[in-house]
Amino acid sequence: MWRRMADWHREWEDELLGVLAQPASATTAQAGYRRRMARTIATLSPIERQQLHDFSLAHRGRRGYWALAKLLMLFSLGGVLMHVFLPRMGWFAAIATANVLGVTLLLAVFSAWFNYRRLIDRRWKLVRRIFTYGPATVLALSAYKVWFLDMPAAQVLDDLPRFLGMMLGVCLLALLPQLAVSMLRYRQYEMLTEQLQAEAERERLARELSESQLRLLRAQIEPHFLFNTLGAVQQLAQHGAPRAAVLTANLITFLRSSMSDMRSEQVSLATEFGLVESYLKVMQVRMGDRLRYTLSLPPALEAVQVPSMILLTLAENAIKHGIEPSLRGGAVNLSADADGGVVRIRVEDGGVGMSTTPGAGTGLENVGHRLKLTFGEAAGLALEEGDPGLVAVVTIPCPKAGA
Amino acid sequence: MTTVLIAEDEPLMRERLLEMLAVAWPEARVVLVAENGNDAWDGFLDCEPDVAFLDIRMPGLSGLEVAERIGKLAHVVFVTAYDQYAVDAFDAGAVDYVLKPVQADRLDKAVARLREKLDSDKRAPDDLGDLLQHLKSALPGMRQERTKWLKASVGRQIRLIDVDEVLFFQSDSKYTRVVLRDSEALVRMPLKDLLSGLDRDKFWQIHRGTVVNAGAIAAAERIDAERLQVLLRDCDEKLPVSRTFAHLFRD
Repeated sequence: MWRRMADWHREWEDELLGVLAQPASATTAQAGYRRRMARTIATLSPIERQQLHDFSLAHRGRRGYWALAKLLMLFSLGGVLMHVFLPRMGWFAAIATANVLGVTLLLAVFSAWFNYRRLIDRRWKLVRRIFTYGPATVLALSAYKVWFLDMPAAQVLDDLPRFLGMMLGVCLLALLPQLAVSMLRYRQYEMLTEQLQAEAERERLARELSESQLRLLRAQIEPHFLFNTLGAVQQLAQHGAPRAAVLTANLITFLRSSMSDMRSEQVSLATEFGLVESYLKVMQVRMGDRLRYTLSLPPALEAVQVPSMILLTLAENAIKHGIEPSLRGGAVNLSADADGGVVRIRVEDGGVGMSTTPGAGTGLENVGHRLKLTFGEAAGLALEEGDPGLVAVVTIPCPKAGA
Repeated sequence: MTTVLIAEDEPLMRERLLEMLAVAWPEARVVLVAENGNDAWDGFLDCEPDVAFLDIRMPGLSGLEVAERIGKLAHVVFVTAYDQYAVDAFDAGAVDYVLKPVQADRLDKAVARLREKLDSDKRAPDDLGDLLQHLKSALPGMRQERTKWLKASVGRQIRLIDVDEVLFFQSDSKYTRVVLRDSEALVRMPLKDLLSGLDRDKFWQIHRGTVVNAGAIAAAERIDAERLQVLLRDCDEKLPVSRTFAHLFRD
């Protein structure tokens, strides 16, 4: 008998745990009250389900029975005390009452502990119910006393306010710990949710940052650039031209500094300008007189930190979408200045301009995105129509005056 | 002797291709070296070479667009920097390509194939139309921007001309003569550069120096067994059609 009950309970427990782990399995629960219960559990939020799951797992089988037995013993002890202080009540009545009250309270607290969100949502509804059903019950009982127990109406009427007060008092008393527990738990829940959201947000930002770096990496080792430059080196070397050595030196500088830049999140403007210069030197040998360039960085701004590679991306963009498609070529001008608390870096190309630069989007988007990730909304990338060509303006907040 | 056109925008790459071609194919004569697509096409019409080595990414007309215009007039070999899309498409199609930087063994192979094609009964080059269409849509940034307005200076004024209203364009060395229904103007841009911004379905090139709005054509008439000329709807001028473009009016 005991074994059969224990088996049945274990099986049901497994089913509930299954539902807690995977709410979708609620529909496969045994029909009847078990399925109803499974459905209710399935509507809990993931956090609530996780909490209930952990609790059920910790108090599974024998441990649960033992805890329940201890509580029943505690309630019975209360019943004994009740008998001592209220001798009018018999032994049995006192112990039974204490156990009924105790189990009711236990169930109330238990449901509040694990289903607090629902309780919080419905707290006013519950209070309203107590104030309607409570007096209604009292009135019905009083009428019952008068009609069927032939108690004198005057006495029942006299007793009515006290009876009513007692009823409401008991109900509210039962509700209060429930509400208190659920509010406490609700606050915990909200904190947990917030914490989880904050963690998710942090993770998302970190992921975006590494993704944008990965994209940079991919863009950097563009086969076009490497193959064409090596082709130029080969051609120059074949004739023993001294320019071959210079071009190779510039390519090495460019590759080395772009590799080390890529590994750091931020670099100084001086480093970034140096990188762009080695890139432009390489491109100039390749493009000949179709490319001209100037770089101007005030010494005061040399130490300003910027996200790595963004200026290079802009310079590459200027070459690829501005100068290369242009019949006459053009000039790339890179400059920086500080004004009114912000540093502005301009990359101008005197090429074909904005309306004829299809596909320039992703690289620029990436630059804007990284600026915002690093400096927040105060930083950004703006595109302006040049005369001719396109001007990309990077704005970042000035670190400190004179820096 | 086989004549060759080379179009490549980077000077060192151009030099390299020239030198290597001289070794790989000594009997071929390079008749034109172009720095951009517009010059390549214009030069092609001028010297009508048998073979064209075309870089794909060039200023002005892209290599693909030049090849499209060349059609069956010559054999085309693309010279391209590594580009997965392009390589895939080339491998699937009939067209030959050489990867940049050009290496001798690959160029030898391309030359051998060209020789074979040229020797065997001089058969017409393959039609690359479909492949080029496919490539143009697959390669990012290969679509040409269309010109909508032309700017022509008339005295001290700058006149804006809607391209769609032009009856025909005629080359005038560094300028282009733009003829409209009731007037005409000079645009400070050579025709070869204007060409790349025009819709090919609408504006037909009928001569190296003439592009005509197809909607303005009334008829084409034969002058003799060889030569054609175009008559216009709202204009008395008669425009000669060169042999290269006579196929436009054949049924």
